[in-house]
Amino acid sequence: MAPDSGPFPEGPLLKLLPVDARDRGTQRCRLGPAALRALGAHLGSAVEISLPDGGSCLCTAWPRRDGADGFVQLDPQCASPGAAVGAPGSRGSLNLSRLRLVPCPPLRLLAVWPVLRELAGVSGAPNPAAVLEAAQELLRNRPVSLGHVVAAPPGAPGPVAALHIVSGAPNPNPAGLVTPHTHISLSGLPPSEEEPQPEVPLGGLSEAADSLRELLDLPLSYPRALASLGLEVPRGVLLAGPPGVGKTQLVRAVARKAGAELLAVSAPSLQGSRPGETEENVRRVFQRAQELASRRPTLLFLDEVDALCPRRGGPHQAPESRVVAQVLTLLDGISGGREVVVVGATNRPDALDPALRRPGRFDREIVIGTPTLRQRKAILQVITSKMPISSQVDLSLLAEMTVGYVGADLTALCREAAMHALLHSEKNQDNPMIDETDFLEAFKKIQPSSFRSVIGLMDIKPVGWEQIGGLEDVKLKLKQSIEWPLKFPREFVRMGLTEPKGVLLYGPPGCAKTTLVRALATSCHCSFVSVSGADLFSPFVGDSEKILSQVFRQARANTPAIVFLDEIDSILGSRSISRTGCNVQERVLSVLLNELDGVGLKTIERRGSKSDQHGKYKELEKNEELEFQEVFNSNVMIVAATNRPDVLDDALLRPGRLDKIIYIPPPDEKGRLSILKVCTKNMPMGPDISLENVAADTCFFSGADLGNLCKEAALLALQENGLEATTVKQEHFLESLKTVKPSLSHKDLTLYKNLFQKQGFSNLEDI
Amino acid sequence: MTQDQPLLAVQEALRKCFPVVEEQQGLWQSALRDCPPLLASLSNLAEQLQAAQNLRFEDVPSLRAFPDLQERLRRKQLAAGDTLLDRLGERLAALLKVRDVVSSHVEHVLQVYEQHADMISLDAVLQASAASPSVAEMLEWLQDIERHYRSLYLKRKYLLSSIQWGDLGNIQALPKAWDRISEDEHPDLVRDILLNVSFFLEE
Repeated sequence: MAPDSGPFPEGPLLKLLPVDARDRGTQRCRLGPAALRALGAHLGSAVEISLPDGGSCLCTAWPRRDGADGFVQLDPQCASPGAAVGAPGSRGSLNLSRLRLVPCPPLRLLAVWPVLRELAGVSGAPNPAAVLEAAQELLRNRPVSLGHVVAAPPGAPGPVAALHIVSGAPNPNPAGLVTPHTHISLSGLPPSEEEPQPEVPLGGLSEAADSLRELLDLPLSYPRALASLGLEVPRGVLLAGPPGVGKTQLVRAVARKAGAELLAVSAPSLQGSRPGETEENVRRVFQRAQELASRRPTLLFLDEVDALCPRRGGPHQAPESRVVAQVLTLLDGISGGREVVVVGATNRPDALDPALRRPGRFDREIVIGTPTLRQRKAILQVITSKMPISSQVDLSLLAEMTVGYVGADLTALCREAAMHALLHSEKNQDNPMIDETDFLEAFKKIQPSSFRSVIGLMDIKPVGWEQIGGLEDVKLKLKQSIEWPLKFPREFVRMGLTEPKGVLLYGPPGCAKTTLVRALATSCHCSFVSVSGADLFSPFVGDSEKILSQVFRQARANTPAIVFLDEIDSILGSRSISRTGCNVQERVLSVLLNELDGVGLKTIERRGSKSDQHGKYKELEKNEELEFQEVFNSNVMIVAATNRPDVLDDALLRPGRLDKIIYIPPPDEKGRLSILKVCTKNMPMGPDISLENVAADTCFFSGADLGNLCKEAALLALQENGLEATTVKQEHFLESLKTVKPSLSHKDLTLYKNLFQKQGFSNLEDI
Repeated sequence: MTQDQPLLAVQEALRKCFPVVEEQQGLWQSALRDCPPLLASLSNLAEQLQAAQNLRFEDVPSLRAFPDLQERLRRKQLAAGDTLLDRLGERLAALLKVRDVVSSHVEHVLQVYEQHADMISLDAVLQASAASPSVAEMLEWLQDIERHYRSLYLKRKYLLSSIQWGDLGNIQALPKAWDRISEDEHPDLVRDILLNVSFFLEE
C-alpha cells in the first residue's frame, strides 16, 4: 500500500495504476481525497478523463480504500473506441487537469448499436429482444457519453460484447445517466466512426495477391460448381520469401479486400512456458478461427511459422515435435468442410517440418522473391503516391538503382528522402518538395536489408580508371566484359550474346590487378563483394563451403553484383595437381564450380513471382527495355585475380565459368611513364627530372616497384637535404635505382606468356 | 448540529437498508438451496433420454410387444423435464424478486445521498471509526451487493435459457456449470459485507 502522501503533491500528477480486480466492470475511477476535493466531486459523480493516447473515458469518482493521494485507477468500461487503458503495459501518469467533472442528467431516450459476441455453434443473429434486454442490463445505472463504447465485462454471458452509444435525448454529450426509466433502442446502423480503414495499395505483389484471393473467393462465388465437381478447395498457403518483401502486408490487404475476417497470430507468441501450454494455445487459435468462420470467410495467418513448426527429429526436441504434431492434426482436422484459409509466412521454408508442406496442409507455396525492377517501380509508385514529389524525379531510374531493395527498404528510402527534404530545404518549410537530390542522398544512407549481413561486403576507396597508369587495352577489355553487359543489355541481346559469367585476371605480382578491380567496382555502381580466405576458411568441416555458397546466394539477391576473389589460387586447390585427396580447398572449388554453372537456383532465391521466370523468352521478344535489363541483371559476375594461373583447376577455366581470361602484363615503357606520372603527382619535382629516362631505365619494374622507386627517391631527397628538402631531383632517382631492384624477371614473364599460348589462347600482349 | 443532519439522514437510510439486504440474502440462499436437487434430476433425466436414444428397441425381443414404446417413453421423459424446468423457473423468479428488492433499496439509499451530497463534506463521508466504516465505503458496498445479485441472476438465467433438449450432454453438465457460477463470483461477498457493518447496525 502506498503511504499517505499528505497534502496533494504540488504538481498534480497522478500515477496510473492498473485497476483492482474487484473494481473491474464497475466503471469506477479511484482517486485520492485531495484529488476528489480538487475536482469538487461527490461519490459517484461522472468524471470524464482524457487519456494520454488521445482517447477518453467516462467513469464515476470513488475514493481509494487506503485514502492515498497521487494515484489513479480507471475501469475503462465506457471509453472512446480504441482507447486502451486496460492494456497491461499502460503504465504512466495522468495530470489532474485531464480529469473533468461533467454534469450527468438522466436520459429519456438512448440509441445504441450492439456489437454481438460470436458464439460457437450458434448460427444466425440472436433474437433482437434478447439483445435489447442484455443491453438494458449492461447499461443500467451507468453514465454514458456520445460516441463511446460500453464494453461488457469479459466473463459476462449474453449475446452483447459491446455497445456503441449512437444518440440519445437529452443529448448525452458530455454525459448522461441511464436510469431504469430510460428507453433504450437498438440502432440498425453502425456509428459513423466505424468507417473501414482506407485501403493500402500493394505495389508489385498483384500476382501473389491474386492467387491468395482466389482461395478466399472461390468457395464463396461458386459453391455449387465446386460441390458438383467434388472438389475441395485448397485451404492452406505457405508464403515464403526474404524478410521485408511484404508477406504480412499482402495477407492483410487480401483479407481486407475480400472482406474476410483476419486472425493474425505470430507463432512465437503462441509459445508457452509450461509443457502443453503451446499446444493449448494453438488449439485455442484454431478454435477461434472456426468460430469466426461460421459467420464469414476467415483467414488464419500464422506469421513466422518456422518458429512453431521446426523440423522434427533432432535429439532434444520432444516438446517441439508435439507442437508440430498438433499443428498438423489441426490443419488436417479442420479440412472437413472448413471455411478457414490458413496462411503461413516464413523466410526460412527449409526449416519447416516437411510434413507440413504437402497438399491438404499447406497446399500451395507462394514464393515472394526480392522485387524485380518492374515491381520496384510499382512499389515506389505506391509509396510516393502520397508524397509531394517534384516532376524531375524519375521513378524508373530510381527503381533501376535500387537493386536488391525489398519493399521495407524502399519505404525506408522514401522516408529518408522526405526527412532530407524537410531538414535541408530552408526555402519552403511549409510545403516541402522532395526532389531527386533528396533521393540520391537517402540512397547513400539506406542499404538494402538483404545486403546488411553479406559476407565480404567492402567499403571501397573509389579509384578512377585514369588513376591507373598504362594498361589501356586491359581497361578496355575489362569494360567490355563487365561494364557493357551491365550498362547496355539491349545491344547484347541484339547481337545474340549471352551474359558472361566471369573474368580471370592474371599476371605477375604488383601489376595493378587489385587496383583495376577497385576501379571497376567504382565505375559500375553495383553490389561488390570481395571474398578472401579469411572469410571462407573455418575449423569446422563443411563450413567453408557453406559460407561460399552463402556469398553467392546473397550476391544473387542483390544483382547485378560482382564477386571478387583475390588470390584465387590460395582459396581453391586444383584437383589435377594436388594429390592429397579430399581437402578443404577442393571442396570449396567444387562449390564454386557449381555456383558458377550449376543446374539452377534454389526456389527460395526466386525473384519476383514464378510466371516471370517462365515468361523470360516472351519478354525477350517484347522489346521492352525494362525487361531486358531484368533478364541481364539477374546474374552475378565473378572476377578472380591470381598471379599463379598455372595451379588453377582446368574446369574453372573453361568458357561458361571464368570465360574471359585477361593477362595483366607488366608495364611497358609507355605504361611505366604514365605510372610514374601518377606516382609523382603529389611530389615536388625538380625541373631537371626526365621521367621518360627513368621509365626507360626501369625495365622489368612492376607498378608496385615503380611506386617504391618514387618513394625511395623522395626519402633520399629528405635524407640529403634534411627536413628542409623542397624538391626531388633526377640524381635521387638515379641513386634509388641502384638500390631498388625489379621484382620481375625475364624467366617469370616468359612463363606467363607461354602459359595460355600453348593452350590456344592468344590474348597475351608484348611488354 | 445542523451540519450533521444530512449525514445522519444518509446513515439512517443505510441502517434501514442493510437489514433488508440481510433478510433478502436469506431468501436468496434458500431459493438457491432448492436448485441443485432439481438440476441433478434434470441431469439424470438427460442421461435417461440419451440411454433411450442409444437403445435399439426393435432388437430387444421383450420390448417388441410395445410398438410405440420409444415414442411414449420420450414424451414422458420430456414432460418430466418440462416440469423440472418449470420448478427451476419458479426458483429463478424468486431470485429475480430478491434482486429487484435489493436494487430498489440500494437505489433509495443512493438517492438519499444524492439529495444531501452538496451539504455533506467529503471528510465526513470518508471518516471511519473503529465501530463503523465510512459512509463512502458503505455506499460502495451497497453498489457491489446490487451488482453481485444482478450478475449472478443474469448468469443463471442465461444458463437455464441455454438448455435445449437436442443437446443432452449440455444438460448433463448443468449441475457443474451451476456450481461454477457461484464459485466464479466472490461467494461470500454479501456475508462479509454484512459482518463489516454489524457494529454500525447495532449503534
